[in-house]
Amino acid sequence: MNSTPELDERISALLAGSAPFNLAPAERHERLLALFKDEITYACQRSPQYRNYVEQWPVDYRSAARLADLPYLPVGVFKMNPPLKLIEQNEVTHTLVSSATTGQVPSRVVLDSATAKRMSRGVTTIVRDFIGPTRRPYLVIDVSANLAGGGELGARGAAIQGLRSFATETVCCLENDSSAEPNLNLNVVREFAAKWKDAEVLVYGFTYVIWNHFVKPLQSQGVKLEMPNVRVLHSGGWKRLERQAVSKDVFNRGVASAFGTSPERVTDFYGMIENVGVIYPDCEFGNKHVPAFAEVLVRDPLTLEPVSTGGQGLVQVCSILPTSFPGFLALTEDIAEVIHADECPCGRRGTSFRFVRRAPKAETRGCGNVETVRERLLEEAVIHA
Amino acid sequence: MRDLIQAAESPQQIGEAAKQLREIVSSDEFSLKTALEIFEQWAAALQGKVFDEIPGVPFLRLWLRRGTLDPILKRELGDGSLDGAWNDDGRARLKFFPIGVVGHWPAGNIEIQPLLSMSCALLGGNGSLVRVPSGLVEVTEKLFERLRAVDSGGVLARRIKLFSFDHSREDMQEAMARNIDGAMIWGGLESVSHVRSLPFPHWARIAVFGPRLSVAAMDAAVWNCEVERASWCQRIARDVWQFEQQACSSPQVLFLERDSDADAGPFVDELKQAFQAENRAHPRRELSPAMTSAICLARASWLLEEAGRSASFPASPDWTILVGSGADIPKPTQGRTLSVLLVDDLLKVIEKFDGTVQTLGLAVADAKKEDLLADAAGRRGVDRIVKLGRMHVFGSPWDGVDLIRPMVRLVRHVPSQN
Repeated sequence: MNSTPELDERISALLAGSAPFNLAPAERHERLLALFKDEITYACQRSPQYRNYVEQWPVDYRSAARLADLPYLPVGVFKMNPPLKLIEQNEVTHTLVSSATTGQVPSRVVLDSATAKRMSRGVTTIVRDFIGPTRRPYLVIDVSANLAGGGELGARGAAIQGLRSFATETVCCLENDSSAEPNLNLNVVREFAAKWKDAEVLVYGFTYVIWNHFVKPLQSQGVKLEMPNVRVLHSGGWKRLERQAVSKDVFNRGVASAFGTSPERVTDFYGMIENVGVIYPDCEFGNKHVPAFAEVLVRDPLTLEPVSTGGQGLVQVCSILPTSFPGFLALTEDIAEVIHADECPCGRRGTSFRFVRRAPKAETRGCGNVETVRERLLEEAVIHA
Repeated sequence: MRDLIQAAESPQQIGEAAKQLREIVSSDEFSLKTALEIFEQWAAALQGKVFDEIPGVPFLRLWLRRGTLDPILKRELGDGSLDGAWNDDGRARLKFFPIGVVGHWPAGNIEIQPLLSMSCALLGGNGSLVRVPSGLVEVTEKLFERLRAVDSGGVLARRIKLFSFDHSREDMQEAMARNIDGAMIWGGLESVSHVRSLPFPHWARIAVFGPRLSVAAMDAAVWNCEVERASWCQRIARDVWQFEQQACSSPQVLFLERDSDADAGPFVDELKQAFQAENRAHPRRELSPAMTSAICLARASWLLEEAGRSASFPASPDWTILVGSGADIPKPTQGRTLSVLLVDDLLKVIEKFDGTVQTLGLAVADAKKEDLLADAAGRRGVDRIVKLGRMHVFGSPWDGVDLIRPMVRLVRHVPSQN
């Protein structure tokens, strides 16, 4: 059973607002609080496990006066197998899978058609506010395999797909050959650049993919494109580039130089598959903003209370969009800083924040750092003997 | 005070320090009695708010007292050891001597461990080369400064070299390993495995403490006793709070033997109150985001995996009680997160132990039953079986190993005129 028509209607109404970043914080809070409460009630009806979690939560959500008091799930629970869901298996249209590094379990979230539509609409609404509504040629710095919108979609694929509503035509410029890493097809890039030289063009790629498989090959071959009107969006985090000592500034200048444009036309956005339909692009002041159908809380790791302006802590993402899985209130493992409670100089209302870093992996520590592993190690020793 | 722990910059610095220590150990007369007197004064000097706030200091104070150490030394090194005398052993006689320089690799999260480990080697007359983990430099200096103050003649202090260097400095780690005669290694799986792989001389004695985990268990007669329930819960809370549940002696799970006539609800409520009280008495001052995430994930996973499970926790990450049933030890979370599991028979729990469990904290009304449990636990690899509330009380043997004897040589003398 999909979400109730009444719930669906209320979500759509909030999503349909013409100016996603114009809602005053108090009004946003009031609307979201009521809607999240109903979404929690709906999820409790759909999932006995989720209901059990909500019933043990120290605050009764029905009487909660703050978004911060509502029961949230840590993103780690979306690694559970089978994935948490609020719909029947036959209603699942897509499964989004996070990009996990080797050896790590990826997150999986299931979408039904209603959530998938909202996801697409959410991303479009946000991006439109940053780059305008016009459709334009779309250069994807990735391989074409990631364009396919199959039943299971990775984080890269989901991001690429999410921006396709802005595309008049889509071109992928990386290709897989026999090597493990994708290669830049320079002919495709040159052809695209020549064809759309002065046009408004949209470019998207994962941050490290753009740097390693686009900017570096162009630099090494001494190629500079002339596409001054390009808008480059990228996401996926900085971890791999930090290892290469590539800062945001170096990245922006490198990308801008490759395209022959200014660094201001390169925009990083923060997002995750668990927070479907919501992405957080940097505004011209370097801050990330939250649309009217979502909220971000930054919680002090010591108390889990929201921090005030200037404070840092764990990011909780809140989105009214998903009803296929209980992902409306999710505590991430990322650290951010609250920049403004409202009124960023860019004019967007509500909380603005900056990503600081990914919290290190939670590991048991000390001389008590052990699981019951001896039996397993001994079994392995027998196998190897 | 900053010079008490040297920031090691080169392997040569460590080699030179080890050389100096070895010369002191081989040339200076060592009096155990004097060492014990200094320890007693050191314990007395570790008083006051600044020390009370350091986790584990009450245990360190207790450990350093003669009342604790005398019986341990007599048992490990012989009755005459306190006087530096030879102990008769049939037609021969025995006396302990230091092995030389002992290197210490304490765990990075137990504040008192660098000095606790060092104290064991010092009692054997050894020199001590201690790698102080970067996170413990400040606290170790505070504690060590008190020893320096009471040991004005440097009787013990000159046998100690404290170093700090980043754990990734392989050249420093290797220099320490190459220059010692014995090693006391404490910590988690990764760090212990790494230190054990260092190039120790072939004669080096290695004593490893950890990684282990610990478990608490109660029979129904105890947890269902209304009169005693509160005090037992208080003891459990104390065991959970110490060392942020990261010590090998920290209970990660409490098994309650089921009573068909009794509901565990009132016990869990009492435990919740004890946790709240302990939290008021010992609030955290900081918590890493990673641990906060782990606590939130443990709460959610526990309740989402099975709809029949329950839990009790505040909105903050201060403490967590996860309630369910089963005889398996759940994956430890630490951070004051205690699983409380109902089980039909405590023996069934112990039968599943595989040697990982270090301490079994017990509250059992029937002494005969406790004997049975203790025997079963010993067979299944448990090294310490203690009363709940005393799981961290540091004593010998620890991890089934003596603490002082491994780092001494017992010299056997058969008099030529016999």
